Amino acid sequence: MEVSRRDFLKTTALTGTAFVLGLYLPEKSRVTAAESTAKKLAPNAFVRIGEDNRITFLIGQAEMGQNTFTTLSMCIAEDLDADWEKTDIISAPVHPAYNHAWAPMQLTGGSSSIYTMQAEMRKAGASIRQMLMSAAARRWNTQISRIKTKDSMVLNPATGARLTYGDLIEDIANLEVPQNPKLKSPEAFKLIGKPVKRHPKEAWAKVRGEAEFGIDVRLENQKYAAMIHPPVFGATVKNFDGSKALQRQGVHRVKQTPFGIAVIADHWWQAKQALDDVRVVWNAGEFKQVSSESLRQQYRAMMEKPGASARKEGDTAKAFQQAAQILEADYEFPFLAHAPMEPLNCTVHDQGGKAGIWTGGQMQTVYRNACAEALGLEREAVTYHNTYLGGGFGRRAVPNMDFILDAVFAAKGEPWPVMTLWAREDDIRMGNYRPLRINKVRVALDQQGNITALESKLVGQSIMADTMFASFIQNDVDPFMVEGLATHHYDFQNNDIQVYRVKLPIVPLWWRSVGHTHTAPVVEGIIDEAAHAAGRDPVDYRLNLLTEKRMVDVLEDVARISGWKTRKKEQNVGYGVAVVESFKSFVAQVAKVRVSGNQFEVEKVWCSVDCGFAFNPLNVENQMMGGIHFGLGPVKFSALTVKDGMVEQSNFHDYKVVRMSDAPDVEVSILNSGEEPGGIGEPGTPPIIAAVANAIFDATGKRYRSQPIEMG
Amino acid sequence: MTIKLNVDGVPHSVDADPSTPLLWVLRDHLNLTGVKFGCGMALCGSCTVLMNGAAIRSCAMPLSAVGEREITTIQNDQDPIIGKLQKAWVDEDVSQCGYCQPGQIMSAAGLLKSNAKPSDEEIIAAMRGNICRCGAYNRIKSAIKKVVAEA
Ligand code: FES
Ligand code: FES
Repeated sequence: MEVSRRDFLKTTALTGTAFVLGLYLPEKSRVTAAESTAKKLAPNAFVRIGEDNRITFLIGQAEMGQNTFTTLSMCIAEDLDADWEKTDIISAPVHPAYNHAWAPMQLTGGSSSIYTMQAEMRKAGASIRQMLMSAAARRWNTQISRIKTKDSMVLNPATGARLTYGDLIEDIANLEVPQNPKLKSPEAFKLIGKPVKRHPKEAWAKVRGEAEFGIDVRLENQKYAAMIHPPVFGATVKNFDGSKALQRQGVHRVKQTPFGIAVIADHWWQAKQALDDVRVVWNAGEFKQVSSESLRQQYRAMMEKPGASARKEGDTAKAFQQAAQILEADYEFPFLAHAPMEPLNCTVHDQGGKAGIWTGGQMQTVYRNACAEALGLEREAVTYHNTYLGGGFGRRAVPNMDFILDAVFAAKGEPWPVMTLWAREDDIRMGNYRPLRINKVRVALDQQGNITALESKLVGQSIMADTMFASFIQNDVDPFMVEGLATHHYDFQNNDIQVYRVKLPIVPLWWRSVGHTHTAPVVEGIIDEAAHAAGRDPVDYRLNLLTEKRMVDVLEDVARISGWKTRKKEQNVGYGVAVVESFKSFVAQVAKVRVSGNQFEVEKVWCSVDCGFAFNPLNVENQMMGGIHFGLGPVKFSALTVKDGMVEQSNFHDYKVVRMSDAPDVEVSILNSGEEPGGIGEPGTPPIIAAVANAIFDATGKRYRSQPIEMG
Repeated sequence: MTIKLNVDGVPHSVDADPSTPLLWVLRDHLNLTGVKFGCGMALCGSCTVLMNGAAIRSCAMPLSAVGEREITTIQNDQDPIIGKLQKAWVDEDVSQCGYCQPGQIMSAAGLLKSNAKPSDEEIIAAMRGNICRCGAYNRIKSAIKKVVAEA
């Protein structure tokens, strides 16, 4: 029986469907005895109230650092008038009640959690508050209008009577859930819109090393698997011999999974060491000849022919004929690994007839279903436990389910729970990368130096192709490939954006801010070049061509906080600007760069963000900072290169990422425009890539269009 | 082979191959999962613990090399410097995904034990071995400075 989210909100608690709710909302597997016997009320899918007056929020989104647990819980707590210090947040089980508004599944991505769910969370809190007030009014034989609430208590100011929410759980059990509860007015907010720190329980667990990530799952009699993956993309196992490995101490099994060979042992280190003793013969496949250089040639050759049209308007050919000046630019973006800090892992216990799966995932429903299918079970027979994610950045929302299926097949038919843990090298070399993309761009300028036409030829893999999201592709164009490019906010009149899709055995994947990682540097790079060619100030030039007020506002704001107009011309110092809309939010950044020889340091970044309304401004600031540092990696040094069908990098010594010594000071300004809310997990990343390149130009007079920027 | 080990003031006997990195002994034998695996090559700092008060990367320290020396992990609730850092971390809202933070805190603890008043440059030098993919560096820096200022 499937119960929808709507049903949850409609039904009452301890009677009727409420018992069903109880069944559908199992306690987390490892609650203490005291917790499991204490009485609790589950008035809807998102809230539980204990008789001890502790309130638990169940969040169906993944917590991977973006602070969704805290911010969504703030929305519930605000309208419930809950005592924040006496709340807990847990990861919800897989259930349609927690599905994303976009798809029939639990999904955390597209920086969408807050703006798609905040209204419903507030309503979930408000409806329970209203029920508690009517229950109290009944007990006190007074009118509901006389009742107030505060810090998880119901008060009757006239008599001084008070009850905790926990005192009332039996009373509200039989009440109808109000469908249109009154929401708090913004002036009364205590949490929403305030700089609220990460929920104290989570924050303390994380600094004490007590937070449970997927890698920390420990079950009785658990074994560990390490993996051998194909050396060459697209290679398959011809045959393998694990007999020598099996002689090693602690090793129990050597077996094939869809993506490689798993060795299962008592301890992961034993399994990892035993990999050396497994002999695998691979079918290398055709990709063995392929290198970054050959891909480049292949991509460039494709541009000779017309591509699929992502945006065509006006008469671009004519505009180029009539142009006073034409600028051409070539941009290249390498493959990038997400390299979340917690190496990929998943634990599965095949119990015959039922199963458990533990991981930190951004697509719980999909992983649960895949596990069920692989083990030949009904979906409901698989219990999925979402732990904290040691970073996601897109890597843990993976349609080909590489690390999940490795784990499911490693554990299939085994008598013990098995954690399959990838080494860092598996993650860096296995694919699911931000794909390599090349973009050849031309702009036409008129006598005044304004851009009259933009032509772009973009080649690369589509992320959506061959996945469950393939239906997004229309007329051969993957919208996530051209987001920010086909949808730019400049008034160029003539646009001709063409795309070319490539298929490779290297699996592409969304990487924090998806298409914007390569479209923002192009749009914000070429416009900077045009401003320079026109002899105009880069901020003024953009302001003159922008058609979107929110872009204008953040750009003016960042110019203000960075002192753009009064910046000093200093030897070897440059300032660069960029402004990007992504994930429904608008972000402008100014980067200050200091160049010495062939090195550059980003000293300071000013960032202005309009996400409509900042539900938690402290977290908006944190996400902007994090997004900026994430984007600085590929600007400075992160890149994967292919040779002989293999990725040449393997760990953080050759796949370099930003460290504290590279991290600039960041100043964030938040504009609460009151417009439709947007996301904040990703929008900090796109502008920085262009802002730094533009700043280096300002300092040196040299344009660096490809990443990473290699000066000299 | 049984090897003796002193962790957070508790003596342990571990049955493991002497070449096993300390990281895996702590995580998988002693169940101290607060010590994190990130790279296995002393490149990321996630696995940082203290050995006789100095920060080391436990992924690159074979069990056999530890000997009598005292190992301190993030799960040590007696150490005053670790305690202060943890509080500053919460106050400054440092953690994002949180995965790197035990290692960050232990590197900071190692620094402050040898240098109670480090300069900005000394902080960066001590912390640059610790990667935070979430990019919480600005807050990490301010949390350390907060503890330094209170010292
Ligand atoms: S796991 Fe030891 S430094 Fe990365
Ligand atoms: S907080 Fe996520 S890696 Fe540092």
